[in-house]
Amino acid sequence: MKLWAGIGVIVGLELRQRVRGVAWYVLLGVFVVLIGIVTVLVGLATASFGGEDSGGWLYSLIIYFVLMLGTLIAPALSGNAINGEREAGTLATMQVTLVSATQIVLGKFLAAWIATLAFLVASSPFLVVAAALGGLSVGTVLVSLLVLAVELGVIAAIGVGLSAILGRPLFSIVVSYLAVAALSLGTLIAFGLGGVAIQSEVRATTVQSIYEDGSDSYTCGPPTVSTYSAPRFDLFWPILSANPYVVLADATPPQFSEYGSPTDLFTGVASLVRAVQVPPDLSPDFDYCSSATFEPGPTQEETYGKTVPSWFVGLLLHLVLAAGALLWGIARTKTPARRLAVGSRVA
Amino acid sequence: MRLTTTDGIVVEGVRRSFGSVHAVTDISFEARPGTVTALVGPNGSGKTTLLLMLATLLAPDEGSIRIAGHDPVVDPLAVRAVMGWMPDTLGSWASLTVRTTLQLTARMYGRDVAQAAARADELIDLVELWELADRPTRVLSRGQKQKLSLARALVHDPSVLLLDEPASGLDPAARIELRILVRRLAAEGRTILVSSHVLAELDELADTAIYVERGASISAERVARATSSSRPWRIRALEPTSIVPALIAAGIAAEAIGADGSGILVSVDTEQRAAALLGALVSAGVEVTSFSPATGDLEHTFLDLQARPAEPGDGIRL
Repeated sequence: MKLWAGIGVIVGLELRQRVRGVAWYVLLGVFVVLIGIVTVLVGLATASFGGEDSGGWLYSLIIYFVLMLGTLIAPALSGNAINGEREAGTLATMQVTLVSATQIVLGKFLAAWIATLAFLVASSPFLVVAAALGGLSVGTVLVSLLVLAVELGVIAAIGVGLSAILGRPLFSIVVSYLAVAALSLGTLIAFGLGGVAIQSEVRATTVQSIYEDGSDSYTCGPPTVSTYSAPRFDLFWPILSANPYVVLADATPPQFSEYGSPTDLFTGVASLVRAVQVPPDLSPDFDYCSSATFEPGPTQEETYGKTVPSWFVGLLLHLVLAAGALLWGIARTKTPARRLAVGSRVA
Repeated sequence: MRLTTTDGIVVEGVRRSFGSVHAVTDISFEARPGTVTALVGPNGSGKTTLLLMLATLLAPDEGSIRIAGHDPVVDPLAVRAVMGWMPDTLGSWASLTVRTTLQLTARMYGRDVAQAAARADELIDLVELWELADRPTRVLSRGQKQKLSLARALVHDPSVLLLDEPASGLDPAARIELRILVRRLAAEGRTILVSSHVLAELDELADTAIYVERGASISAERVARATSSSRPWRIRALEPTSIVPALIAAGIAAEAIGADGSGILVSVDTEQRAAALLGALVSAGVEVTSFSPATGDLEHTFLDLQARPAEPGDGIRL
């Protein structure tokens, strides 16, 4: 059978079963209500700041919220795709037809992805509201939607792959959630712990002004050297590039105000992540005496411009993970089976 | 259908283990087109494992299998195109209707939407599930699920049919329908392999039988010996009390005579001896109304094989 014809039949089978179930609609309903609440609250908050063009903030917040809920829902929709059928005794009845293991696994993956994307579609009215508030660029909309869709697909692929690799549906769903947690939270924890663990000694040279008694005149004192240690987050920032929220933020074209500060959450997050690329100054001079002029530090926009993007590294890593999970899953679904996992059943 | 040596099922020296469990140790047999072959053996003797290997789901560790001339390991797609498998587990997509299930299965065999719809209607007719055709499969009873499972196995009009416990859960009327249907499918030239525990059912259904025990097929000689061993015959007469004296007069030892609720049981070793005994009873003036084996052929052979373990030289590797 032609590859896509077989995949199409499996996708049709999956979606038919999905639309007949109640759980799906309940989840969608809860999701829409949650997004609605967030939209209203953020809308009120930005209105009270009197900010114009607050659409960027609202839009990016909704997209982040869809990413968060999507990564929480996708494992539940995909994590028992293959082993659930095996437990129900229906996988073998598909395997004896002319549909191949590749078609079964890819069909299940596409169906899970489509089911997850429905949550993005359900949030579209609120995205339109955000766009109506103004200050939203076309580039931000296109890139963020694309990256969000790809990230949801990655989670769906990992879930379907694990459901083919692991025997028990509950186990594979839990491992899918752990994978999501490892990417979303694990990267943050690893980054934080790594930065704190590796510290460098900073030798700061300070020159103080010494005032003479009863007059305004002063002389510059001798330079004093003090040492302390600083965490080296700059050595661990690549870990953050594997975080899906960072990928989404870093990939989206930055939007800065005329003062060089971010005008949406993506740019805000991306600026923070970019800032940790800059290594700490290990021998700073603090002269509070001779140079009285205060030099402002670089704006976030300037820091952003001087540092390197990392989103494609993270995205590539995610795509490799997804493809690996699917390929391994296909190998485990191939029949006639030679090796069986302990405790697994064929039919 | 033209019958050639490459049709049907040919199994030679097949072995399959799961870790330390030797599910199938040595099974060889042939099933010919146009016949119904019974697969008989106690629970855990490897019947289902064998059927999974025939159905292209499991690869054998050793030995060769040919389904309509194709090797299920080398060319599973060729086997799947001509093989229908009815599993012993009754899995179905719970939220889909009977009709949709059959249509989707037909699509998985490469039929287009129109062909699939027509085929689903034919099969619903064939297994008589009209009233439930548009109900979700979760409302089906066990027997109705059996029918759906059989219909699913027939979706692509296969020339080889593997039926794993097809009669379990069926009411008596449905069993008779199943028997008629399976005989008709065989008469059309298909090769049919049926595994079942209901031996009386298989007796009427099957042309030949393969006996398996502890993962190995039992040699033809041992089966022949078991088939020809003595078995109980049931005798009924208008005057039941007249039977036992006539039997003793005909030279039957008293300890070989018993009784059950519906007649007198007597152990006879060959059909010739049975015929002679019937003649003796009739000429002694007993008005015999019924004189028949108390067990079916398959059941008799099965029970005898169970009672007598394999002897050395029977070709069974344990």
